[in-house]
Amino acid sequence: MQPDKNALWYKDAIIYQVHVRTFHDSNGDGIGDFQGLEQKLDYLQELGITAIWLMPFFPSPLRDDGYDIADYNSVHPSYGTLEDFRKVLASAHKRGIRVIIEMVLNHTSDQHPWFHEARSSQGNPRRDWYVWSDTDTRYKDARIIFLDSEKSNWAWDPVSKSFYWHRFFSHQPDLNYDNPAVREHMWNVMKFWLDMGVDAFRLDAVPYLVEREGTNCENLPETHTILKELRRKLDENFSERMLLAEANQWPADLRPYFAEGDEFHMAFHFPLMPRMFMGLKLEDRKPITEILQQTPEIPPSCQWSLFLRNHDELTLEMVTDMERDYMYDMYAESKIMRLNLGIRRRLAPLLKNDRRRIELMNGMLMSFPGTPIIYYGDEIGMGDDITLGDRNGVRTPMQWTGGWNAGFSNAEKERLYAPLIHDPVYGYPAVNVVSQSESEHSLLHWMQRIIAVRKSTKVFGRGTIEFLYPANHRILAYLRKLDRETILVVNNLSGTAQAVELDLRRYKGNILIEMFGDNLFPRVGDLPYLLTLGPYQFYWFRLRRV
Amino acid sequence: MREMIIGELTQAVHDLARGFAHYLPRLIVMLILVLAGWLIAYIAKVILRSILRLIRFDRLSENAGASQLLNKAALPSATEMLSRFVFWVTWLGFILLGVSVLGILGLQDQIARFFFFLPRLFIAVLILFLGLLAASFFSRAALLAAVNANVPSPRVLSMAVRSIIIVFVLSIFFEELGLAEQTMLVAFGIAFGALMLGLAIAFGIGGRELAQRFLEDKFVRDKKQQDEDELSPL
Amino acid sequence: MEDESFLTDDFFRQLINVGEVDILVGLPTHNNAKTIGTIVHNVRSGILGAFPRERAVIINADGGSRDGTPELVTGISIDDVRPASGVYALRTLHAISTKYGSAPQSGVALRTILAAAELLRAKACIVVSPESETIAPEWISNLLRPVYRDGFDLVSPTYRRHKFDGLLMTNLLYPMVRALYGVRIRESYMSEFGFSGRLGSQFLHANGWKDGTAASGAELCFTLAAITGECRICQCFLGEKDHVERRAADLVPALRQTVGVLFSALDSDFSKWSKIVGSHEVPTIGSEQEIVLDPLRVNRKRLHQMFATGVAELESVFQAILSPATVAELHRIAVLGEDEFRYPAELWVRTVYEFAAAYQKSVINRDHIIQALAPLFRGRVFTFIVENRNASANDVANNIEGLCLEFERLKPYLLEMWKSRE
Repeated sequence: MQPDKNALWYKDAIIYQVHVRTFHDSNGDGIGDFQGLEQKLDYLQELGITAIWLMPFFPSPLRDDGYDIADYNSVHPSYGTLEDFRKVLASAHKRGIRVIIEMVLNHTSDQHPWFHEARSSQGNPRRDWYVWSDTDTRYKDARIIFLDSEKSNWAWDPVSKSFYWHRFFSHQPDLNYDNPAVREHMWNVMKFWLDMGVDAFRLDAVPYLVEREGTNCENLPETHTILKELRRKLDENFSERMLLAEANQWPADLRPYFAEGDEFHMAFHFPLMPRMFMGLKLEDRKPITEILQQTPEIPPSCQWSLFLRNHDELTLEMVTDMERDYMYDMYAESKIMRLNLGIRRRLAPLLKNDRRRIELMNGMLMSFPGTPIIYYGDEIGMGDDITLGDRNGVRTPMQWTGGWNAGFSNAEKERLYAPLIHDPVYGYPAVNVVSQSESEHSLLHWMQRIIAVRKSTKVFGRGTIEFLYPANHRILAYLRKLDRETILVVNNLSGTAQAVELDLRRYKGNILIEMFGDNLFPRVGDLPYLLTLGPYQFYWFRLRRV
Repeated sequence: MREMIIGELTQAVHDLARGFAHYLPRLIVMLILVLAGWLIAYIAKVILRSILRLIRFDRLSENAGASQLLNKAALPSATEMLSRFVFWVTWLGFILLGVSVLGILGLQDQIARFFFFLPRLFIAVLILFLGLLAASFFSRAALLAAVNANVPSPRVLSMAVRSIIIVFVLSIFFEELGLAEQTMLVAFGIAFGALMLGLAIAFGIGGRELAQRFLEDKFVRDKKQQDEDELSPL
Repeated sequence: MEDESFLTDDFFRQLINVGEVDILVGLPTHNNAKTIGTIVHNVRSGILGAFPRERAVIINADGGSRDGTPELVTGISIDDVRPASGVYALRTLHAISTKYGSAPQSGVALRTILAAAELLRAKACIVVSPESETIAPEWISNLLRPVYRDGFDLVSPTYRRHKFDGLLMTNLLYPMVRALYGVRIRESYMSEFGFSGRLGSQFLHANGWKDGTAASGAELCFTLAAITGECRICQCFLGEKDHVERRAADLVPALRQTVGVLFSALDSDFSKWSKIVGSHEVPTIGSEQEIVLDPLRVNRKRLHQMFATGVAELESVFQAILSPATVAELHRIAVLGEDEFRYPAELWVRTVYEFAAAYQKSVINRDHIIQALAPLFRGRVFTFIVENRNASANDVANNIEGLCLEFERLKPYLLEMWKSRE
């Protein structure tokens, strides 16, 4: 089996996000590695996903979970060798699984040799690879992103006696993209991995590449020019590759990253995710329909990537103050669960381990227009450990079995890169892959099923969306259409049974086929189509004229 | 002669005795009828009275203002009145029945007519009763409405309403009884006409100023003044 | 749920779509297009401002408006089909409307609102008058908060009023309700009020709806039901009470739906009010009542004349209702000139109590009894105005308090008359 020959493969994909370190440890050092990942590819194939997104695995001081890269052309020794990575790539491709890797363009680690050179003297040839200043007052309109840990976007370098620019942590100096040498070199880095067979890059922190005085230094036209240039080179040299933008912005600000289909293939839809949680808690579809109404059209070759949870906090940057307060009160009652402008929790604990809510959220994720991303462990309902600092609570080892170290590693417990979850509800004895594989009713089996149903049609990945607005605001109903295929999705956002009347007169004469069981529902007539839905229930119907 | 007299006397006594013997059973029957009638009438009265009390007939007549009317005429309550009426009608019926048993010629016809007349009498009395009630009720309603609307001479209005209704009721009452139908019709016509004429003249001459004020109040009065008149009660 | 059968199918369908709510705002309307726009706007601001997270609904019970009132109400909805401009709302806000008849009947409207509140399991509800243009967004939160946050069952309003505004309230309803029921509620006949779902349901299922009283003066019945049901009651100061409702010659209808309702309630509540002695304050949020002293021109001459005419012309009626002593006293003061004429508090209280007893005994038609009170009330109004012409707010308050105490003092007199009814 090979990945399907399809330039738009990413539109039909189901992506699994995982960090090598967290997945499986093959050599017993307490840290997951590429060999371990390779061993678990069968599991991922069985789950049904079509792509994996590997988080940064480059050599790094690991002060920002690998986003502080010290060498772009190598693999962190803890995870194995470049050869190990090549094997993973080949094995994945053999199973029809594409591989997406991280590329951090904006900044390097302060341990990167480039930065060592740059700071060594004012006259060093690499000095201009970073952004330097004698004062810390330039670009003062740029906001500070990591409010909880940084006071300024400038940091003092005692070695070269000047300030350097950093949008994130102070140990992550920003590269200077006004320098053609930097641009050229970064393309070479990407080319290195593309030549190896990597299918796609998730480009980290793209809005911040270029700085200009008097602006907020985000989404600048100069940044877009650089990104378009990268895309042009990609298209000239490779086929079936993809660029995914990580830009935590409003949809309207994100739209330029798709340009005319000549910049990014995909971008994360950040504002949607908190609104899904909000709609669920409010039992009201309004936040969800509103954000999707505000979502601009994107070129046909482009795609949104959607997610419920990821390795970061559930970000609340893209909501109003009122909404943020609401989200905090509803989903992070304890202060310790909050981080920066977000909530550092996993899917299952956020939803109070309510299977029906977990299913509904996944059902919406899989049926909205876009490519869904599943964060590792969420397919079995893993929990988090809020006692761990920063975002490490949602980055604990994958729980494979109820046995030693959850089957993650043979190492002694103390040597694990992070402690296992061991509380009675989410602990690995209760939540693990093996027990869920053996239980028919498990979330894992359910996830396999919904992924299979999603993959049974291209409508979800490529079709249009059209909202029905039933008067019952607890019901979120929409039609997904592609060519002659039409799918009706009806979600009950409330915890109580609901009746809803849908105006389907345009589809008079069609019968409804429920997609999970292939069962027939009554034919659509002149009257409003009456459906009843149990608490948090959802339906996917194929409309078919008989 | 003596024998003759004695014979006649004997004959008379015999006749009397025979007659008495002939009538005695009827007399006894009559007495029984009268007594039984009293008893039945009494029971009917008691039953009716308790039914009327049960359905609060007095409250009804109070609401209509009839009780007050009866009070004024020093009459007992409406319930009492109605049950007494039933008592007497029933008993009278039985008495007449008893009398008819005696077989006295001529009386039979009258009694038959009485029984024929009875329902009409009953209806007529009922109409009169209800009519008087209505007269009282509507005259009071008119009086209160007139006072609260600040219409001049409310009592005249009230009296007029009462008179019209009473005259009207009386005419129906007599018509129902079948007494002097033509006369009553004419009398009603005259009385009603006279009343109207009287009112017209009264308004025309005596009440000219009054009428003027009334019309002014209705149409000309300054809007501003009206606003000042009333404070919002709530 | 037989009680809900009076709701139309269409309304019921709308209720299904609204679903369970935390907060319900009821708006009884009839041809209020002129004012309703501002009111619903303020209601919505009030909800969004104070209860942005709660599920809320605005329910309009319309008595057959022909001026587009219901459309103005439903147009205030916030949903995803017609995104509201300029307002930010966390969730959907439904504003729905139902027509209950072709003529305005406040009782039917209230009943519709209560039935909806019960079906939607609303925790806190308010009813808002469609005529009070002075309604501010804070009124909504002030009326709702005591119910929603503090567990009160009834929030009765107090207003800033002119000292001669609402004299039926200050001279009869407030003192009499206070004396009989023992609770000092300023505005027992409420045009804006808040209540708990519990009290709403309780009142909805009380057997008052079939006879006409609850249909016309349901607001007063509601207050009395809250008192007799031993509910937690508080008062809340709202603000300026405007005078849109002020229509001349509306005294008799006003008497019917307040005094008439109060008198007939006394019958069924006898076992409760007969035992109560004295009265107690209810918790009040904000000031109890603010009195405005602006000069106001009143046609006192007319009040006096109508009183005198009434006493003279209605003699026969008063003889049936009042005791001979009271009648005689009324005759005595009726002939006094404007300058000497006073209708003393004690006589007024006796009059009212005798009316109440006469009403209970139905000495004449009950509606006639209520109508007969109108001229006497005018006499009392005359006296109140004269006595308080130059009074300060404090004096006015003291005078009202004095009247209240008179009502409380003479309560045994009423009880005595009541007991001698058979």
